[in-house]
Amino acid sequence: MTITKVINEAPGIKTFHLNFQDEEVAKNFSFETGQFGEYSAFGAGESTFCIASSPTRPDHIECCFRETGKNTAALANLTEGDTIGFRGPYGNTFPIDDWKGKNLIFIGGGIALPPLRSVIWNCLDLREQDGRFEHISIVYGAKSVADLVYKREIEEWNQMDNVTMVKTVDPGGETEDWDGHVGFVPHVLENDVKPDPENTIAIVCGPPIMIKFTFEALERLGFSQDQMVTTMENRMKCGIGKCGRCNIGSTYVCIDGPVFTATELAALPNDF
Amino acid sequence: MKTATLNKSDIGKCIDLLLQSDLRVIAPRLIPRLDEDGTDSIDVLTFTEVDSGDDHQVGEGLLPLNGVKEFLFAKHEPLFAYEKRGKKIEIIPVHHEYPQTVIIGVRPCDAASIASLESVFSDANAGFEDPFFTERRSRTTFVTYSCTAPDASCFCTSVNLAPDSAKGSDLHLTELGDGRLHVEVLTEAGEAVANKLETLLEGEGDQAAREKAGATVHEKLTRLRNSAPIMDWLMDTANFDDEMWERLGEKCIGCGACTFVCPTCHCFDIVDENKGSKGYRIKFWDSCQFDHFTLHASGHNPRDWQFKRYRNRFNCKFKIYPEKFETPGCVGCGRCIRACPVNLDITEYMAEVAHKAANPNAMKADPDFE
Repeated sequence: MTITKVINEAPGIKTFHLNFQDEEVAKNFSFETGQFGEYSAFGAGESTFCIASSPTRPDHIECCFRETGKNTAALANLTEGDTIGFRGPYGNTFPIDDWKGKNLIFIGGGIALPPLRSVIWNCLDLREQDGRFEHISIVYGAKSVADLVYKREIEEWNQMDNVTMVKTVDPGGETEDWDGHVGFVPHVLENDVKPDPENTIAIVCGPPIMIKFTFEALERLGFSQDQMVTTMENRMKCGIGKCGRCNIGSTYVCIDGPVFTATELAALPNDF
Repeated sequence: MKTATLNKSDIGKCIDLLLQSDLRVIAPRLIPRLDEDGTDSIDVLTFTEVDSGDDHQVGEGLLPLNGVKEFLFAKHEPLFAYEKRGKKIEIIPVHHEYPQTVIIGVRPCDAASIASLESVFSDANAGFEDPFFTERRSRTTFVTYSCTAPDASCFCTSVNLAPDSAKGSDLHLTELGDGRLHVEVLTEAGEAVANKLETLLEGEGDQAAREKAGATVHEKLTRLRNSAPIMDWLMDTANFDDEMWERLGEKCIGCGACTFVCPTCHCFDIVDENKGSKGYRIKFWDSCQFDHFTLHASGHNPRDWQFKRYRNRFNCKFKIYPEKFETPGCVGCGRCIRACPVNLDITEYMAEVAHKAANPNAMKADPDFE
């Protein structure tokens, strides 16, 4: 695929807009929200990222990544017009058809906003079309103000009348002109946002520890495990159930996931 | 089923007939390997390609060091080549040879592992096929050979197999004790091989003598006879946090030797090998016993202690394979026991799990296990 746009989101974090070079491939490509791909800088390897854009906006796909290893460092060095490798889409999808007529609250931490961003735009666009979802809330936090990704879109969601946008940074991460909350996401969620569990689905993505504490906070707020959905970010290589890396017991995150309900996760062995 | 007899002394002639038919023949051979000092060499029984019927060890020794896995699932192989041309990348397909192959002298445990690998790499697994595996598999015929002298590490009878099992075999040979082999033609591929050996095969086999020979060897294997409770115990998610895992797994040093010699271990890595503007994307064997195997980019590692990695391997063998792929995860070859530098013995885990399954409260009540 060709990189058609590069956006510097935060220190070490970039977004790529990507377009297929082969017109046939472009025409036949489709994906659903929640799915992921393998992205490569040739010569450096492959990395697993979600598709961060919404299927309702099909003129390109997006990925967003933090520079951490060899391949992400090589990807970060690429510029507009360069070629990257892409395999996908793989994995299951967010069950948005089951969410009709419900309130949705998206809860994300750090670099885990990209997977949520795909489903957020998907749900916002579908609601715009036919009003199929009720109220939409977004709770997003990062270590510091600088570490927040999609800063412009956070502002865009903030401006929308029918979206509640709550942003927070970890204590110490605020700046003088910071107008959001200060506190960890699960804490802000439980003490400030206090979402009503009635007819609501909570979609959570973040580091494993944040998911754990957020689920616990949601349960105290009265959410059942069936009302909590997350997407797992286990290490992968093949993405197609062969290489044996992303399994939690007999469940392969690449094939059976990455999207799971809290009910499904609770049935898995303690290995994630 | 068609049966026949064959003189054991004619196996070399069989290999020559197969070679004359332009088949690639792989058989156990004694291969000199340097000893630890690098000064002297020792002969190690190894499956390798043969170019003459004079040099083979079919039916001799016990298990080749390597098993047959590497002839279906290559230790390393390029998926494709690429070349950078300005801002564009050209993907260049890599030509792979998939010669028609006969592997002769395969022991029953190794033969039983083929179906397990197939269940992972075929498109029956989530609709994705590994064509490198399936192309090789479809061109490989397995001529198997019943065991006569299992060693102390063998435990096929603990995993529902037998030293004379023909599971996964195309053409099966069993020594009758009088210099003759009982030949069983089990599949079309086996028949194609038998047809090439027609001049060496005689009459009908001796089924009664074959059964007797098998049963005699079976009796030599006295380890755990009922492994069924192991899977049941592992299926209970609460047992994933049992104290046993840390206690028994502490010994493991994470070298990964068990996974490389294991006939059913299928994990691999994908990397780029780059030189200048060109390179290959390569798939090669990896091991769930390595600490970075599951390490996330964030630094989080779901299997951050060695015992958790060993626990995964044990679960893979006795729960994941049978539950997810409906094939055996362990065939009892004993290679992991022989290869382990710290004498970690998987059958000790099996026995303990079987004991726990039979006595659900026994361990908790025993202060020695605190």
